[in-house]
Amino acid sequence: MATLTDVIDRPSSQSGLWSWITTVDHKRIGVLYGVTAFIFLLLGGLEAGVIRLQLAVPDNTLVDPDTFNQMFTMHGTTMIFLVIMPLSASFFNFVIPLAIGARDVAFPRLNAFSYWVFLFGGLLLNASFLTNQAPDAGWFSYANLTEKPFSANQGLDYWALGLQVLGVSSLAAAFNFVVTIVNMRAPGMSLMRMPLFVWMTLVTSILLVLAFPVITVGLIELTFDRNFGTNFFVPEGGGDPILWQHLFWVFGHPEVYILILPAMGIVSEVLPTFSRKPLFGYPVVVFSGVVIGIMGWAVWSHHMFTVGLGPVAVSVFMITTMLIAVPTGVKIFNWIGTLWGGQIDLKTAMLFALGFVALFIVGGLSGVSHAVAPSDNQQQDTYYIVAHIHYVLFGGALFGIFAGVYYWFPKLTGKLLHEGIGKLHFWLYFIGMNITFFPMHYLGLNGMPRRIYTYASEFGWDGLNMLASLGYLVLLAGTLLFIVNLMISLRKEPDAGHDPWDAPGLEWSIASPPPTYNFATIPQVEGLDQYWIEKRRAEAEGHPITEPEAPVDPSTIHMPSPSYWPLVTAIGVLILGGGMLVDTGWDYIRFPIPFIGGLICFIGIVAWANEPPAKEHAGDDHHPEAGHGAEPHAMVAAPVAVAERPAGAAAAHSVRLICSNCGNQLSTNFRFCPYCGGAVENPAEPHQEG
Amino acid sequence: MGLLPFRGEESQTQRARDKKGNTTHMSKRLSISRKHFLLLGLTAILLLVMACAPDAKQSTFGTSGPVAEKQLLLFNVLLWVMVAVFILVEGVLLYAIIKFRRRPGQTELPPQTHGHTALEITWTVIPTILILGLGIWSTITLFELDQPPAGADALEVTAVGHQWWWEFEYPDANGNGKRITTANELRIPVDKAIRINLRSDDVIHSFWVPKLAGKVDVVPTRENYMWFQADETGIFYGQCAEFCGVAHAQMRFLVQVLPQEDYLAWAESFGEAPVLSAQAQAGQTVFNGTGGCVVCHTANGSDSPAVVAGRVQGFMTSDTGIAPGPNLTDLATRERFGAGLVELNRQNLRQWLRDPEVIKPGNYMSERAAIYQTADGRASLSESDISSLLEYLLSLK
Repeated sequence: MATLTDVIDRPSSQSGLWSWITTVDHKRIGVLYGVTAFIFLLLGGLEAGVIRLQLAVPDNTLVDPDTFNQMFTMHGTTMIFLVIMPLSASFFNFVIPLAIGARDVAFPRLNAFSYWVFLFGGLLLNASFLTNQAPDAGWFSYANLTEKPFSANQGLDYWALGLQVLGVSSLAAAFNFVVTIVNMRAPGMSLMRMPLFVWMTLVTSILLVLAFPVITVGLIELTFDRNFGTNFFVPEGGGDPILWQHLFWVFGHPEVYILILPAMGIVSEVLPTFSRKPLFGYPVVVFSGVVIGIMGWAVWSHHMFTVGLGPVAVSVFMITTMLIAVPTGVKIFNWIGTLWGGQIDLKTAMLFALGFVALFIVGGLSGVSHAVAPSDNQQQDTYYIVAHIHYVLFGGALFGIFAGVYYWFPKLTGKLLHEGIGKLHFWLYFIGMNITFFPMHYLGLNGMPRRIYTYASEFGWDGLNMLASLGYLVLLAGTLLFIVNLMISLRKEPDAGHDPWDAPGLEWSIASPPPTYNFATIPQVEGLDQYWIEKRRAEAEGHPITEPEAPVDPSTIHMPSPSYWPLVTAIGVLILGGGMLVDTGWDYIRFPIPFIGGLICFIGIVAWANEPPAKEHAGDDHHPEAGHGAEPHAMVAAPVAVAERPAGAAAAHSVRLICSNCGNQLSTNFRFCPYCGGAVENPAEPHQEG
Repeated sequence: MGLLPFRGEESQTQRARDKKGNTTHMSKRLSISRKHFLLLGLTAILLLVMACAPDAKQSTFGTSGPVAEKQLLLFNVLLWVMVAVFILVEGVLLYAIIKFRRRPGQTELPPQTHGHTALEITWTVIPTILILGLGIWSTITLFELDQPPAGADALEVTAVGHQWWWEFEYPDANGNGKRITTANELRIPVDKAIRINLRSDDVIHSFWVPKLAGKVDVVPTRENYMWFQADETGIFYGQCAEFCGVAHAQMRFLVQVLPQEDYLAWAESFGEAPVLSAQAQAGQTVFNGTGGCVVCHTANGSDSPAVVAGRVQGFMTSDTGIAPGPNLTDLATRERFGAGLVELNRQNLRQWLRDPEVIKPGNYMSERAAIYQTADGRASLSESDISSLLEYLLSLK
C-alpha cells in the first residue's frame, strides 16, 4: 500500500471544485455541511408542503395514502437526520476551532470523511424515491409493521441502511469534536472558560457517541429480520416489537437533546452579545446543560406511556421526565437574566434568539403536560404532540440555528446579511410558525390522531387544518426570503469588518473571513469572554482594538494538506451500506456488493494511514511522516511559538512532543499523553532556556 | 336502533365561552406592554380562533365516565398552571426586551452582572416543588385508573386490532355465558365498568375512545387492558391512534352506549337467524359461493376461534386469498361499515361491493378477495349478483 500512496501525490488545489472535494479545512467543511443540509431543509419542507396540502381540507384525495405515508416518514427523517443534526454539525465545524483558538479540528481528514458519509447517507435515503420505494413506516418505524409481511418493498431497507451510513458520519464527527474540545483549547481556556456553545457541543458530542450505538443495534436487528430471517421483532417467532421501541427511544430521547442543545448553545452566545453583558449565571447554564444531557438517558419511556408498561414503570419515567423541566426552566430564567439590565440590540440574530426563547417556553410547557402520563394517554399520538415537537424543533432548534446563521455569517464571508430582509424573514417565520403549529395543539386535544392521510368533515377539524396549511405558506415565503437574502448579501462587497457585533468570542479577533490558519498566534486565554476582556482592556488603555489580528505569510504555518482518501473511504461506506439493497437471491453470495464497498473502504483507510505529506514541503527540511502510526496532520494547532520560530530550527513544521513516560511522539497540542496519560514536556523549551 | 344524540354539546359551548373570556382577558393584559409587539396579540387571535372552532365529536373534552374525566381534570388544572407560567415568563421576557432596549447614544457598557446565587437557587427550587407536587398527584391518578374499582363487576370485552378494522369479542355478553363476536361497533351498557382486553394478530394498534378514556396500545406480544365506564347513553367515536399501515386513517369504530335493558336485549337476540326474501336468499348463495365472501367473513353468528385462527394463519403465510374479515352478523343493525367509516345505506354498500378501494384505499378485501382481482379492481360479479348480495347483507338483523 505504501507504493500506492507514494505514487499518488496529495492533492494541492486551493480553489475550484477539486479544492472543495479534497478539503480538510474545518471552515470549508462547515460550509459544505451547511449548504447540503439547507438543500435537504428545502426538500423536507416540500414534503411538509405535500402533507399540509393534503390535510388542508377534509376527505382530500390529492395524494394516495401510500404517498402520504412516505411524505411524513421522509419529512421527519429528513428534518432530524439530514437537517437539524448536520446544520448543528455545520456550526460545530465552522465555530468550534475558532472559538477555542485552534487551527483546525483534531482529525481534519476524519472531519472530511464525516461530511462525505453524511452526504452519501442522505442521498441513499432519498434514492428510495427514485425507485418509488420511499420508506413509509414513520421516522420511528415501529416494529413489527416494519417486518417483511407488512412492508414488503425495500423502503425500510433504504431507511435502515441510510441511517446506518448517517450513523457512521455522526459517530466520526462526534469523536472528532470530543477530542478537539478536550485537547485543543488555547492555553488558559479551562473548561469553565469555554464559551457556552463549545460546552453544548461537547455535551452533544458525548450524547452522540453514547446514543448512536443503540440505534445501530436496533437497525442491524431490523435489517437482519428483514433480510436474513431473524426474529428480533417478530411476535410469531418469539420476538418482541416492544424491544424495538426501547432501542429506538433509548437512542431517540437523547437524540432530542442532541437536536436542541447546540441551538441552546448558539442562543447562549447570541443573547449576551446583543445585550452587551455576560451570560447570567454561566456555571448554572453549563451545569443545567450537562444535567439535561445526563437526565436525558432516564426518560425514554415517556414515549411509550401507552404501551402498557404498567403503572410502576410509567410513574418512574413520569417523575424523571417532569424533573428534566427544572434544568430546562433554569436555562430560560438565566437567559432572561442575561437580558435584564442589558442594552438589547434587536438585530436579526438577536430576534431569532429571542424567538427561540419565546417559542421554546411554549414547547417546554406542553412538554410538561405530556410528561403527566394519565393526561398523556389522551395526547399521545395526536396532533398535540405534533405541535409540541414543532415548537421544540422548529421554534427551538431551527430558530437557534438561524440565530447562528445571522450571527456568524459575517465571520464566514466578511459580509453582513441584509438586516431589513432578515427581520422580515424572522417575522414571517415567527408568525408563520405560530399559525401553522399553534392550532395543532387544539386539533390534538380535539382528537385528531397523527399520521392520518385524511379525515372526515364530521370531526370538526376543518378550519384549523386549513389555518395550519395557510401558515405553511407564510413559512415558505420566509424561507424564500432567506434565499434572496443570501444571494443579495453574497454578491455585495465585504462590509462586515472583523467584529461587527462587538462580540466576546475569540473567533471575532481574527479577520473575516478567517485565514486558512485561523490564528497567526495562538491566543492566550485569561477568562470567559476573552475578546471582551482584551477589547475592554485596550479601551481602558486608550488604544481601542479596531483591526483583526494581522495576517502572516500562510506558508510559515503548516496546515493539513488536502486529501482524496476521506472521500474514497466514504464512497466505500456508501457501497458497503447501499449494496445491501441488491439481493441476488443466490445461495452463498446473496449480497456481493457490500464486499466491494468493504474493499474500497479498506483501501481508503490504508492509503489514508500511509499518506505522504504534501509535495510542496518535500523540498525543504520536511521529514516524511509516512509510516508512523501517528496522524500526519498533527501540526494543526501548533503552539504559540511556531510562527516565529527561525526557519532553520529543527524542522519548524514537524516539531513533535515526546511523552516523557512512554516515548511516543505526540502532536504539539496535546498536554498529556493520549497513549499513557503521562505528562508531556516540550523538547523545544529547555533548549531555549539553556 | 336510531342514532342517539351526541353527548356533551352543551358543555362544549360553555367551555368555548370560558375560553373566549380568558382570551380577551389575556390579550388585554398583553397589550398593556407595547402595541407593536405581535407575539401575544397573535396568540390571542389563535386562542380566539380555537375557542370558536366547533368542538369535535372525538374530542378529549366533553368527557363521559370516571376515567376520561380524571384524565381531563389533571389536564385542565395543568392547563391553567401552564397558562399562568406562560403569561408570567413570556411577560417578563417581553418586559425585559422592551425595557432594556438599546437606546441611541448609549456608549457606556451596562452593569456587567455575572449572576445572582439567591435568585438562581429560587428559580430552581420553586419549579422543583411545583413539579414534585404535580408528580405525586399524577402518580396517584395513574394507579387509581389502572384497574376498575374493586367490586365493580366489569363487563369483559376483547378488542382485537386488525389491519384496518376492530373486532370485538364478548366472552360472556349477557351474564349467562353467551359468546358474541362483532366488528367495528362496540355495544356496551351504560353505568357499568367495561374491561377491554386488547389483542392484536398483526401489528401494533392503539385503542382510543377519547370521550371515555385515554388510549392503550394493542400490541401483538402483550396482554394489555384498559377500562372505562360511560355515564350516559349515546354514540362515542373511537379511532386507532398508532400508525399501523396504509389505511391507518380509516381504522375507526363506534361505541354505542345503550340503556342496560336495551343492551341485554341486543345481547340475547344477537345471531338469531334473519328473515330472508327470495332475492336475499340468492344473495346468500353468492355470499357462500361465487362471491367467496364466506372465506373471510362470518354472517351467521359468532366466529369460532378455530375459524379465526385459520384466517389469521392464512393471512400471515400467503399474499392472496384470505385475511381475517369483520363478522357480519346483524350487519344491518349497525350505523356504519368499513370500520366506522361510512354510513350503512344501500348506495354506500353497493359502491363498497363494486370496488372497496374507492371508499378505503389499501384494504385487504380489494387486495386479496378473488372477485376483485380484475384489471380495474372492480368486482367480477354481475350487477344482479351484487344486488342480491346487497339485499342479503341488508337483511342481516
